[in-house]
Amino acid sequence: MSARIGAATSGVRVAGLTVRHRRTVALDAVELDLDTGVHGLLGPNGAGKTSLIRVLATVAPPTEGRIELLGLDISAHQERTEVRRRLGYLPQEFGYYPGFTVREFVSYVAWLKEMPAHSVPRAVERAVERVGLAGRLDAKVKTLSGGMARRVGIAQALVNEPDLLLLDEPTAGLDPEQRVEFRALLRELGATSTVIVSTHLVEDVAVACGQVTLIDSGRVAYRGTTASLTELGGTADPTASGAGSPADSPQTSSPSSPIERGYTAALRAHRDAVTRGKQ
Amino acid sequence: MSHGQGRHHADWHVDEQQARRYADGSAPEPDAWSLETHIESCGPCAARVSASVLRGAAGPVLDQVRMAVLAQATAAPTRVPWTARMVWAAGPALRGAWLLAVVLTAGGALGLAYGMDLAWAHPLLLALAPALPLAGVALSYGRHADPLYEIVAATPSGGLRLLLTRTAAVLAVSVPLLTAAGALMPRAGDSPRVPGAAAWLLPGLALTVATLALGSYIGCRLAAGALGAGWLAVVLLPALPALPQGLGEQLSQLVTGPGVQGGWAAAAVVCGGLLAVRRSSFDHMERL
Repeated sequence: MSARIGAATSGVRVAGLTVRHRRTVALDAVELDLDTGVHGLLGPNGAGKTSLIRVLATVAPPTEGRIELLGLDISAHQERTEVRRRLGYLPQEFGYYPGFTVREFVSYVAWLKEMPAHSVPRAVERAVERVGLAGRLDAKVKTLSGGMARRVGIAQALVNEPDLLLLDEPTAGLDPEQRVEFRALLRELGATSTVIVSTHLVEDVAVACGQVTLIDSGRVAYRGTTASLTELGGTADPTASGAGSPADSPQTSSPSSPIERGYTAALRAHRDAVTRGKQ
Repeated sequence: MSHGQGRHHADWHVDEQQARRYADGSAPEPDAWSLETHIESCGPCAARVSASVLRGAAGPVLDQVRMAVLAQATAAPTRVPWTARMVWAAGPALRGAWLLAVVLTAGGALGLAYGMDLAWAHPLLLALAPALPLAGVALSYGRHADPLYEIVAATPSGGLRLLLTRTAAVLAVSVPLLTAAGALMPRAGDSPRVPGAAAWLLPGLALTVATLALGSYIGCRLAAGALGAGWLAVVLLPALPALPQGLGEQLSQLVTGPGVQGGWAAAAVVCGGLLAVRRSSFDHMERL
């Protein structure tokens, strides 16, 4: 399986990725093969989405497996540094220095990403403009609302025009209008880069993502296009209840849209397969 | 030519008069339409019509728009001054309580020496001085110390390079400040056993590099704590029965003399080598 890694110079190739935190297994032999476009990473809370994003962001080391980002092997120091120059990462949670303005914060990250100094001022303004905060460039980050601070986080991820953009719960804290604007921005970014968006909001994926990867208990439960997941929901029986599934199961809420039903159906099929495999 | 779908043959062109009438809006509508169709595919006529329009009432308006667009597009974006960049590079320690602690230690020791005439103020300063940069390193880098850590760790500057930059900043502030405080201490003739003001530099450097090297295994915070506590224990514990006078004597044994200083220098070099070997271990934050 691990021999599948190709020589592509873009996207994400992951083979046999396993991450263990002490005794718990966060990711279990994950295989991924993603190219340019917007990819949704869906799954229940605690499924391993953040663990996966952090490994792809080169922040956390994998326990096992091979990871190739933008055609480079991130276990080698030189290649990892090259990937980091072309990477954008929005963590699920991040802090900032109390005195920073939006401009200083994003410039600081641009400096950390080793962007050429002459291009930084304009790149910063453009990134902040893209997330709709042009009017707040010189406001202190601590005076901004939660949704605005989240958008500053998106701006710092965008500032180097990354070829690989990793966003962990980017829509958390955004109001519905901002969410709509953000999804439009995602589609624009996905035209030229590989964008991976982790979210627990199925409708984020439905609108903005071309491809979906569903993760459950550290394993890939489903991979396909957004359309095929929606189709799955069209054939699934929305009234069926998932008896014996964990408490965080999506079955407990009544799914309304086809893609939500597709999500539920895919998750249930995966769990049934896992249960059968254990017997 | 098939594109001339209007009533004109392809060899028809716009003359000056037609262009002028089009520009001031007095051309009949069908004429204006065929002119517009024609200039989509005929460069010279398009240029003639364009020149005519610019000479008319629209000219000044277009000029203004052009100037406004240019002003917007070529405006130099605000630059962040280089002083701000220096402070960023210095990291969180220099912005926080650590700087205050260094200033208080240096000032406090001077105050004790001059204000209260305490002879052991100088040995106390020398005993604390090597531990202060360690605290600065612990507060400079890592998940516990840096609110931006998760973002920093995904950038090419993250890891050992940023740690070294911040360590350098910590040393650049603490070394001159603490050494100057030591040099300003009263030169009392009664305490010949107190080492010179610069005697702590090599031990301080060795302990700092050792913190980084040990930090590559157990994280900088833990390493700084262990080595700082170890240093203070070695200095203070044997001198405990004879405090405060015994402190100077104990310090002298630890830092005075070419042999001892050479030992500290060797330790710094060894730890530096170990750090170089372990450099990529700072790339992943899990242990930091």
